[in-house]
Amino acid sequence: MSSVDSSGDGGKWLDAHYDPVAGLYTFSSCIDLADLSGDRESRLVVGDLGTGSSGMKLKVYRGTALISENSLLDLPAGLVAFFMDLHEPRIPAVAVASGPCIYVYKNLRPYFKFTLPSLDINPLEQDVWQQAREGQIDPVMLKEMLESIRKKADVPLSVRSLRFLSLESDEVDEFVQLYKQQPIRRQTVITCIGTLKKSTADEDGISCLVIGTENSDVFILDPEAFTILCKMSLPTVPTIMDVTGQFDVEFRITVACRNGSIYILRRESEKPKYCIELSSHPVGLVRVGKNMVVGCTDESLQGFTQKGKKLWKIILPAPVTTMAAMDLPTRGLQAVLVGLANCQVHLYRDKNLLSTIKTPDTVTSICFGRYGREDGTLIMTTKGGGLMVKILKRTAVFDDMDSTPGPPLAQSVRLNVPKKTKLYVDQTLRERENGLAMHRAFHMDLSRTRVAAARAYVKALESSLTPMSSSLSKPLKMNAVVQGLGPSFKLTLNIQNTASCRPIMNLAINFLYDDNLYRIRNPYMKIPLLVPGLIYPVETFVECTSDKGISDIIKVFVLHEEKSSPLLTAHINMPVSEGLVLS
Amino acid sequence: MGLFDKLVGWLGLKKEVNVLCLGLDNSGKTTIINKLKPSNAQVQDIVPTIGFSIEKFKTSSLSFTVFDMSGQGRYRNLWEHYYKEGQAIIFVIDSADKLRMVVAKEELDTLLNHPDIKHRRIPILFFANKMDVRDALSSVKVSQLLCLENIKDKPWYICATDAIRGDGLQEGVDWLQDQIKTMKT
Ligand SMILES: Nc1nc2c(ncn2[C@@H]2O[C@H](COP(=O)(O)OP(=O)(O)OP(=O)(O)O)[C@@H](O)[C@H]2O)c(=O)[nH]1
Ligand SMILES: [Mg+2]
Repeated sequence: MSSVDSSGDGGKWLDAHYDPVAGLYTFSSCIDLADLSGDRESRLVVGDLGTGSSGMKLKVYRGTALISENSLLDLPAGLVAFFMDLHEPRIPAVAVASGPCIYVYKNLRPYFKFTLPSLDINPLEQDVWQQAREGQIDPVMLKEMLESIRKKADVPLSVRSLRFLSLESDEVDEFVQLYKQQPIRRQTVITCIGTLKKSTADEDGISCLVIGTENSDVFILDPEAFTILCKMSLPTVPTIMDVTGQFDVEFRITVACRNGSIYILRRESEKPKYCIELSSHPVGLVRVGKNMVVGCTDESLQGFTQKGKKLWKIILPAPVTTMAAMDLPTRGLQAVLVGLANCQVHLYRDKNLLSTIKTPDTVTSICFGRYGREDGTLIMTTKGGGLMVKILKRTAVFDDMDSTPGPPLAQSVRLNVPKKTKLYVDQTLRERENGLAMHRAFHMDLSRTRVAAARAYVKALESSLTPMSSSLSKPLKMNAVVQGLGPSFKLTLNIQNTASCRPIMNLAINFLYDDNLYRIRNPYMKIPLLVPGLIYPVETFVECTSDKGISDIIKVFVLHEEKSSPLLTAHINMPVSEGLVLS
Repeated sequence: MGLFDKLVGWLGLKKEVNVLCLGLDNSGKTTIINKLKPSNAQVQDIVPTIGFSIEKFKTSSLSFTVFDMSGQGRYRNLWEHYYKEGQAIIFVIDSADKLRMVVAKEELDTLLNHPDIKHRRIPILFFANKMDVRDALSSVKVSQLLCLENIKDKPWYICATDAIRGDGLQEGVDWLQDQIKTMKT
């Protein structure tokens, strides 16, 4: 027993017990939890498959201890605990389906054995054996005739004939001697079992047994008399079954079948009501409320409505080994446990992975419910025969998006979008009707804007209104810096010749300004020869003569002695003279 | 304070202490407290506690008021509302319930880490109950599984009990009484 949280499950489960050598070999269909002694403490009931050919047992665990063992005659196909009568104290019986029989145990003692009715025998087969008994034909002949019957028969051969056909020639005589006097019987076997409440939905209400057979039939048995209350037929052999509802009111039997389809049977219809054709074979089937979750051999998990409409499909990281429902109504929890071949058990609510449990071995059976006195107990058995018990922490909460495959949660949050106004609707209609014209008008306007912009640009270039001269002979760049608080400012103009090798000569700077506001020490300056690449600072001082705290633009022109239009123009936004205001 | 205590003693007034009785459902809390009450006040059938109940019993020098909390999962979140009032804790464990020892440990750890308990030197008395049941774990084993040796900052004591017969209860209560008396401020 260890009390360490297993890694990877976010600390949601307490490790109550792990016995790697419990010697339990079973599947989810052969495991159940039930209060077998009426002391409100649930026991674990397991149909153990042993080695598959021997050691089949009905085992009962209480807490961590094995408390009872009963040998089973044949491999268990399914096990359910159910209330078969109204006796007090309310103690459920255990039904183990194996071969063509259901063995019912009460107080863990064999109580009743139900055998499926035998099937019709092919009259031809009967005749042939009759002849063999009377010595009219020898075993070789018998074999030939049975072979031909097998090939074309509409009623299949009995197990005895099939066995006979598979024998080596030296064994046939003995076989015929041994069996020819016995009547032929044809039996089907049970493939799956479930329970269906008879008339009340109470937890301890009487339940009917529902069984699926190799003969593609589904029977509902009366819990007291063990008579067949109802027989339904499927197109193929059922393998996994889920039953819900009440026999006397309305019920629904969902069966996953060997042909890769799921059929839904309802009360008062002998044939399936709905059919879901899966793309690959089902491995597990769990009902969550009204929906079904199916695990398939193509490593997918799929959700369906009870009418067979597909809701979602997700891809799993490994093949599914087993599935079980996790239902904890007191905590409002409904989810699906999926055992995977990569030693993990995933917990899904719809298609969202809530939590992952890592296991030391591959899990082959899962059962969730009340065990002992603990409602949220998870029981798992492993491929190596181990038994693992985990208890859900009282404080555990599952967030839908523990890990986030699929769209983020925010995507499904409904936005509070205001109602559409009349204006909006009118506008939308107008847009829909006049879309083409509106688009054209837009393009027209766009083109006009572009033309206007281009014209303005050309004009600016032509009149050298920009602080950059693009003329090929005298490429110049200038920027201006104003320093000081006022009334006296220092104005620095950084001029650069951007030509690659040619120097520029005979340049001058001139200022244009409002002389009511400003006085410039040198309104006209000569610029020395500009060597390409270097930045030449040209400085002058500007005096603000106004005391009104206003500022203005000073325009700077860079001129060439031979040209009347300036090479460059810069507009300097002068700051407000603070010195004057302060003084 | 010492003088006052003596005065109380002379006057025959016993000091009142509030004790919280905690532990999982079915561990035997109510049975234990019932057994500690004077025999004329004991009840015959004990039913699972709903919510909690308040019981009183006296020892030679103290008068105990016990909050017998329900251990059922759905009521366990009530426990913490009484941590502030409690001056001592009795924690009862069903030694025969091996499966749920982890649950008992989980609840104990939650208790010890609660802000109202964490930094207090509150004495904790553990009753490893149901010793009479066959296959019950010994008190040593119980204290191992609950990792009691990790409780460093609180006085604690564990004793094996059989609440039906009353075995072991007195030993624990004597310890608790000593602790509370030395705890005096
Ligand atoms: N064999 C045995 N049974 C005990 C012992 N102590 C209590 N019990 C039984 O355990 C059951 C539960 O006892 P309670 O006292 O109701 O348990 P509780 O801890 O108060 O349970 P809640 O109130 O539900 O939290 C009763 O049937 C008691 O008779 C004991 O020492 N030995
Ligand atoms: Mg109680």
